[in-house]
Amino acid sequence: MKNQTIDLTVNGEKHEILVEPNALLVNVLRDELGLTGTKYGCGTGQCAACTVLVNGESVLSCLTLAVAVDEADIVTIEGLDQPDGSLDPVQEAFLDHGAIQCGFCTPGMAMMGRDLLNKNPDPSESEIREHIKGNLCRCTGYTSIVRAIKSCSQGREPQAKL
Amino acid sequence: MRAIMAVNTRILKAEFEYFTPDNFHKALQLLDQYGPDVKVIAGGTDLLIQMKKEVISPRYLINIMKISDMSFIKVENGWLRIGAATKWREVVEFCAKDRKYAALYEASSSVGKVQVRNMGTVGGNLCTASPAADSAPALLVFNSRVKLANMQGERILNLKDFFKGVNVTAMASNEIMTEIQIPSIQNGMGSAFMKTTRVGADISKINCAVAVERQGDLCTSCRIGIGAVAPVPMRIQEAERIVVGKRVDTSLVEEMGQKAIEEIKPITDIRSTTEYRRQVATILLKDVFWKAWHRAGGGEG
Repeated sequence: MKNQTIDLTVNGEKHEILVEPNALLVNVLRDELGLTGTKYGCGTGQCAACTVLVNGESVLSCLTLAVAVDEADIVTIEGLDQPDGSLDPVQEAFLDHGAIQCGFCTPGMAMMGRDLLNKNPDPSESEIREHIKGNLCRCTGYTSIVRAIKSCSQGREPQAKL
Repeated sequence: MRAIMAVNTRILKAEFEYFTPDNFHKALQLLDQYGPDVKVIAGGTDLLIQMKKEVISPRYLINIMKISDMSFIKVENGWLRIGAATKWREVVEFCAKDRKYAALYEASSSVGKVQVRNMGTVGGNLCTASPAADSAPALLVFNSRVKLANMQGERILNLKDFFKGVNVTAMASNEIMTEIQIPSIQNGMGSAFMKTTRVGADISKINCAVAVERQGDLCTSCRIGIGAVAPVPMRIQEAERIVVGKRVDTSLVEEMGQKAIEEIKPITDIRSTTEYRRQVATILLKDVFWKAWHRAGGGEG
């Protein structure tokens, strides 16, 4: 196998990384760049814990070859922070609504919440459910997750908090 | 018996050379050079799983996602042309604007999940040739054709002749699918797609599409595409013939559903049993038929 040098912009920072062709994006993010917020769950596209944004679109980093995203702009859960270091409103909402139990699905869920709100600032509950349909939470926290994302939408009545 | 061994899906153990041609000609050259040892990779949502599980171990991978003229969706002379490397998200966005493609809209927006529609491509879905490929029944009822190319030239194949078995297609090892073509659709044709799954974002147990034309109660044409009930997604033409040229009522649609059971050959697997699939296929088919029928009559929904 011939190693290849790829250029990635991750959370606004440029990186030049030498990777093997069979390196998966999830492992490059976690092991090469130390961004362990992105989780490896099933490895077969079922759980979506590994979701990151590539050029503004949500993708599964466990089914993405690092060489395939050469020159891409990538946002991980670590990149949702505001410039002043405070949390993204979606992350705040997850805390406020208790939308976290074990926390393993949370990075993927939060990325999908951000992804949806980027495209549709005022999603309905069914649009939220459709958007996170492929993200599994085994603590069955879906209701609070949906509520958390909904609380970030524009023009909504503030939702009851815990 | 095969030893049961846990597969480590965290890493991809397989080793391969990886190419990212920036034009179509280079891709064809590579295919010609490496033939059976090569796999074309598009979204990778299926291929990489197969490679992780060591079901396939290609020595060369050709990534076609940097070839710009393989990703497009447009209407030309009435035909809808979709580049093989067009992502599902783009198909959904395009078909949402035109009710003519209702079955394709419903099929494409049901593929996988948001992330998979952002990664996976139409050509990838067809070339993987899963019996459960959600795009296949919808594309079959629109009489779609696929364009295949190699260094020697191009050929066009009807989609119904493209699938040869589970994960087997009519494509030669040095060929690549370049586009999917859908003939112009008559005004007044109604179409619909539905599927059943275990849970939300799972592989279909059964999927089904219908396209019909009618004059009042008279059915003038009917095409039925059905998947995950045989080794290949297929048209069930005996069931189609039951309704064509006849006045449609519930007993005729019932008869069509019964005929469908004779034509399909479902298996028992992790998702369902043969018996269950037979029963549900006929119910699903009738539901999809009525939906398409009402649409052909100008109805919403």
